[in-house]
Amino acid sequence: MSESALKVEDLKVYYWTARGPIKAVDGIDLEVRKGERFGIVGESGCGKSTTAMSLLRLIKPPGSIENGRIVLDGADILALDDEAMRSVRWSRISLIPQGSMNSLNPVIKIGSQIADAVVAHEGSGGRAAAKARIIELLGMVGLPARVYNMYPHELSGGMKQRVCIAMAIVLQPQVIIADEPTSALDVVVQRVVTQTLIKVQERLGAALIIIGHDMGLLAQLVDRLAVMYAGKVAEVSPAEDIYKDPLHPYTQLLIGAIPSVKEKKRLEGIPGLPPALLEPPSSCIFHPRCPHATEQCSREVPEYREVKPGRMVACHLFN
Amino acid sequence: MKIDTQGSPAGQHIRNQPPLLEVKNLSKVFGHGIGRGHETIALQDFSLTLYDDQPKITAIAGESGSGKTTLARLILDFIKPTSGEIFWRGRNLHKMPKKELMSYRHECQAVFQDPYAAFNPFYRVDHIFHMAITEFKLARSKAEAARIVDDALEVVGLSPQEILGKYPHQLSGGQRQRLIVARAFLLKPRLIVADEPVSMIDASLRAMILDIMLKLKDEFGISFLYITHDLSTAYQISDRIFILYEGSVSETGDATGVINNPQHPYTQLLIGSVPTPDPSRKWEEDIEVSADEELGKGDKAGCRFYRRCPHAMEECHRSRPQLYEVGEDGHYASCYLYQ
Repeated sequence: MSESALKVEDLKVYYWTARGPIKAVDGIDLEVRKGERFGIVGESGCGKSTTAMSLLRLIKPPGSIENGRIVLDGADILALDDEAMRSVRWSRISLIPQGSMNSLNPVIKIGSQIADAVVAHEGSGGRAAAKARIIELLGMVGLPARVYNMYPHELSGGMKQRVCIAMAIVLQPQVIIADEPTSALDVVVQRVVTQTLIKVQERLGAALIIIGHDMGLLAQLVDRLAVMYAGKVAEVSPAEDIYKDPLHPYTQLLIGAIPSVKEKKRLEGIPGLPPALLEPPSSCIFHPRCPHATEQCSREVPEYREVKPGRMVACHLFN
Repeated sequence: MKIDTQGSPAGQHIRNQPPLLEVKNLSKVFGHGIGRGHETIALQDFSLTLYDDQPKITAIAGESGSGKTTLARLILDFIKPTSGEIFWRGRNLHKMPKKELMSYRHECQAVFQDPYAAFNPFYRVDHIFHMAITEFKLARSKAEAARIVDDALEVVGLSPQEILGKYPHQLSGGQRQRLIVARAFLLKPRLIVADEPVSMIDASLRAMILDIMLKLKDEFGISFLYITHDLSTAYQISDRIFILYEGSVSETGDATGVINNPQHPYTQLLIGSVPTPDPSRKWEEDIEVSADEELGKGDKAGCRFYRRCPHAMEECHRSRPQLYEVGEDGHYASCYLYQ
């Protein structure tokens, strides 16, 4: 097994409310290998974006990281002081945030916005030298050099998204996190942006963590896939296994719910609703919606463990 | 450019009743951007016919900026067309007296994309039903009103005890969208214009909403205009499909036929770009879209897809292609390849 780029151990992230903590991420373990494309999929509210934000320690009150370790390059970043964390952020682990194409500053030219990251990490002497580097980066994400002197409103959505990719890789981090990188884009542009992302990641040799809800798109993108449900990891498997032979009942239902243009089938939904995370049950969190639930599932939390080589599942069916 | 959207020989439609909805050469041009003389053709020359006795789900598919929402807003009479006409049961929508327009508003309902924005957060969800019942005088007594609300909720698979009396924030997106569909159903419409009804709904609940649409069509004979950017859901539930590109129909026909066997180069690119949920079937090749193409607008005189088209020919640049017949069941594509 290749070396790990990032390791998450028993991470818990809660949002504190007057009625108690909302357990958005409730004890997850993940390992992302060097140079790998790792997907995290789940429905809204399953904790996937919270996980992404906590990997950079960007959780804001009322949220807080309650427990766990996030090991990057052998060191736990949760133990770093704020100053040390600031220097790790972007230079070793960077983020393409959700809806980032709408977060560009409308009154600053693209070139200066990207240069800001360089200046923040390398001092203001870097600004002039950065220009050539940034133009090269823009080329890498498939944008012409003149974009350097353009304003965000002059670009299309897909181009802005590629600017955000360029911004995330300007300091050549080893881990890039992309939160729903193509969710507001048209299919053709989505394909262009996705292919850009793959190209850039392969060239840098960085690990790429893609957060998404579209199982179809992730099939085109990732080497391994984690399925999250209600703040927990249900399953982690290599992509080629999980689509052919999903283990966790939730993964099975998710895959059954993907519409395709290749074959016409009756789409199956998943009956019921995700649980409230204020007081999650002390049992398998999926059991109220699970077609295979047994009496044991309503009593015990299933252990998250390796059930087949390289395949981790939290489900009593595999005990 | 007359297209029979039913896909059957025109002779079959000699009938007593006029079509439910007939859209003729509808165009909408926006703005003359002050001092710039800049116009955006949002929709150009769109025609469509729906019959009341043959309920169908008709998908209007396209990317952002293709004019699909403009079409929905025109049909719902939220905006007026620049040219062209809309007929409802044979009567011109824009010349209807107010009373007739009310009955149109009764029979043609809408479901929108955002189930969060569709509710007033200060009212209980029951409010949307009561408004409709009062406005259209659907019930004579409170008991009758309660009964029809219960019936409508049952059709969309919601339990009245669990839902009624709640505030919108207490419900999930899927539940709210089903409530909106229930409200539309309550009015016993003949046509529901559904503008991206599932794009904000999670995959596990999306199937449920699509199922409800199929059920309303099959059991209650309600037709749908399903406006979407998502070809895969359009493929799963629609009977007919129109693919729009920058305001013009690039291809239309039986939904299964068009998606299994796309003829227009744009439709081919679009369908080839839909990701397959199978890691062993990757996208065939990288596609490049140059910055100029991405930023430029379509050719005014020629085919809108000219600059991106791998088969572009001299005449594509000169004039716009009309819709040519390319297959069975009313399959048409606007491309000179099929001249």
